Amino acid sequence: MSRVRSRTVDPQRFDLNGAALAILEPSHAIPLVSVVVALRCGSATDPPGKEGLARLALRMLRRGSEGLTSEQIDFQIDVLGAEMAVDTSASTVAIHAQVIARNTDAFFDLLARMLATPTFPDDEIERIKRETVGEIVEARDSDRVVAQKALQRTLFSGHPYGHNSGGTTQSVEAIGREDILAFYRRHVVQANLVVGIAGDVTPERAPALAHHLVAGLPRGVATADEVAEPAMRSGRHLLVVDKPERTQTQILVATMGTSPRDEDHVPLVLANAVFGGTFTSRLMKEVRSKRGWSYGASARLGLDRHRQGWVMWTFPAAEDAGACLKLTLELLETWVASGVTAREVSFIQRYLVRSHAFDVDTAPKRLHQALDVELLSLPADYFSEWIARVNAVTPEAATAAVKNRIRPDDLLSVVVGTAAVVNDSLKASVPRLADASVVPFDVE
Amino acid sequence: MADRSISRETAQRRVWAEQVNARAKSDGARVTYGGAEPFGGESIHRWHLGNGLTVLVLVDASAPTVAYHTWFRVGSRHERPGKTGLAHLFEHLMFGETENLGAGVFDRKLEESGAETNAATWVDWTYYHELLPADRFKLAVKLEAERMQRLVLREPQVASEKEVVANERRYRVDDDVEGVANELLYKTAFEQHPYRWPTIGWMEDIQGFTPEDCAAFYRTYYAPNNATVVVVGDVRERELLSAMSEAYGAIPSQTIPAEDIVPEAPQLAERRLELRKPTASEKLLVAFKGPALGDADHATMTLLSEVLFGGRASRLYRTLVVQRELAIETRGWVSTFRDPGLFECWNTARAAHTASELQPVLDEAFERIRTEVVSDDELARAKARLELGSLQQLETASGKAEQIGFFETVLGDPAHAFRRVEAFRRVTAGDVRRVARRYLVDSTRTILRVLPEPSAAPEGVAR
Repeated sequence: MSRVRSRTVDPQRFDLNGAALAILEPSHAIPLVSVVVALRCGSATDPPGKEGLARLALRMLRRGSEGLTSEQIDFQIDVLGAEMAVDTSASTVAIHAQVIARNTDAFFDLLARMLATPTFPDDEIERIKRETVGEIVEARDSDRVVAQKALQRTLFSGHPYGHNSGGTTQSVEAIGREDILAFYRRHVVQANLVVGIAGDVTPERAPALAHHLVAGLPRGVATADEVAEPAMRSGRHLLVVDKPERTQTQILVATMGTSPRDEDHVPLVLANAVFGGTFTSRLMKEVRSKRGWSYGASARLGLDRHRQGWVMWTFPAAEDAGACLKLTLELLETWVASGVTAREVSFIQRYLVRSHAFDVDTAPKRLHQALDVELLSLPADYFSEWIARVNAVTPEAATAAVKNRIRPDDLLSVVVGTAAVVNDSLKASVPRLADASVVPFDVE
Repeated sequence: MADRSISRETAQRRVWAEQVNARAKSDGARVTYGGAEPFGGESIHRWHLGNGLTVLVLVDASAPTVAYHTWFRVGSRHERPGKTGLAHLFEHLMFGETENLGAGVFDRKLEESGAETNAATWVDWTYYHELLPADRFKLAVKLEAERMQRLVLREPQVASEKEVVANERRYRVDDDVEGVANELLYKTAFEQHPYRWPTIGWMEDIQGFTPEDCAAFYRTYYAPNNATVVVVGDVRERELLSAMSEAYGAIPSQTIPAEDIVPEAPQLAERRLELRKPTASEKLLVAFKGPALGDADHATMTLLSEVLFGGRASRLYRTLVVQRELAIETRGWVSTFRDPGLFECWNTARAAHTASELQPVLDEAFERIRTEVVSDDELARAKARLELGSLQQLETASGKAEQIGFFETVLGDPAHAFRRVEAFRRVTAGDVRRVARRYLVDSTRTILRVLPEPSAAPEGVAR
């Protein structure tokens, strides 16, 4: 058993005016300051038909505030040596920013003003909607993005986790100023905010900066999580997303994984790492190293407040698509039937424990772990006791987690490729296939 | 005060060299201290082994990690027509079997230690990198030394890896509109220089490589005197040098062939071409011949690119994306190559607009920056963005090692990242106009339009 110990993840936490929460992780390694302003709600709260609202509303904060036009805000951000982006997931939408340390005060002034006094000009709303629609259309050039979107909306069909955080062309066009105002008034309030600051700022100064950011906002109430646990549709389903002239395919095979609070969550993380989480994993060895069929081959277990997907990814040439899908399904069945060995578990424990140093080697990384605990409702010691949890997993527990959670008969396979070329071989490669369908690549 | 401090550092390192050399088993294993180079508030220490290996060490105890990067001065510029992609294929093969390590053992040993590893190849260089927990750095020393001299190159390994690379090519190029366009752009813009072929190689070349091709390439370029090892992190320098002397010392140096590069002749006329692909949006690529990374104008051209394309407040973003809503994206990049490359301007039209509508807007912006000086605000904005970008590249041990290795390999100046920030600060509005007049010359540009095609139409290129 490894004697490597976890670095204690203990960023300072402050209640701001008894409402918003601030998480601070100072470090003077480099003269940069990172700041995150995150909401305790994300795309899962988007109303039906208005998917993309959470992301759009937060992006609108830089499109005008009292006394500043969008152009002036953009210039100020740049000239201060800062950058800012909005990141959206099912459970949170957040502003992520970074600034050269000498301009910290000026940048926080600007950010506080953007948060407290947005003007939501009509012309800017219409402009950002047109931009967003253009981005959605442009993203269709990426087969990987097309595959991921198709998987998300099909795996979580009818569930808020099926919302694409950026929305669809139709849903974005349906969003109006009143929707954005309502979102802002309801969700951009102190009680619904978590502020994170990391980097070259002193522990004495950081709380005041965090206070300053939220001071202009009403207290409000935190957004309740009303998302139900998602369920997996039974049976094996194949969805081919048809795109012309593909020499290659993007293959995603998915089922439901775990919630981070499930007892068998960490055991499944280990078992998944054995199966498809490293370069020497079973999947990589069989698909890439032995056969050269795909540049990459991996499996991932999603992490969110509720159960997320378990997804396996390969991207073989069109002529190998059927054989590759067949092989990966066989590997999956073997994994579930036989579990993982003691030797594999021991190996992956050493990997996960020793590589933990890279999860916490910068202040922004340590901050993001603390933010994830708060925003994804992870157990409070999810990261701080990570090494102990990993070391505690037995081969039996890892095997049991795979058998309990991964259902080989309840699988969704999504393939982006040229249907006329790959459809028959794909259908033939999935035993006990319940249904197969083909949709064009621009369907949303 | 600073001078005395450096002097103490030097004296200490000379003592370490004597201690390491007392145990050296060959001349190749002897170490020589080459001096310190300021790197921000830290120092890079340069060492040489007797076999020609250069070692650059930056001790950084801010995290219990070590970045171990091995940079070889070989890239796709060292290939020849018919054998393109060999440098990149070779990068893949380096993770294979060695005389002392079976297939997969290299990766397995690193993973077991919690390490991350990967590699990259481009036109001027190839590099291999590991990020390890600090107490495991000796594993990287042993593994990298092993594969520098004892790689096994047989038909099954080469055949399997050729298939992987062919799939990588399908992923990055053949099924990626931007990948195909980029390849075609360089193929058209360069007619003599090796920058005209893609680093991943043409598909027919990839499929034609033999183990003999790979063995010859290995013998020629994978030698200690063609490499620099960069180590950044929480490491004891003397212990590192001792381990490196022992692991690398017996590897013989090689005669590295003189480069046989034909400089690109001046381009005298604009080149235009079209590409049809299944895409929803037209794209317009305009590429001028640009300066080499080592050229004094490179920093100024980079700043010019920021003024035009960097961020939402840049001139062309404001005009094309925000005000006129003709484009969904516009960006510029000055290639960071050892020889003169391109100043690339990438633009994606909105669905209802065409590449032809973008062209006059770009031309107007190029003309304006050739004739008028940029404002103080624009200059300050661009400089601040570039300073932020430079700092962001130095946030981790890996980031520092990459910057040090890249600039050492391409320019022979490991601390150039900081000199570059200083150069950005010195740029004046007059400098920007001067480089605009020098490089934004229509006769030196290549223009590529990517147009959507109905799926039934034949794919191809028309000049």
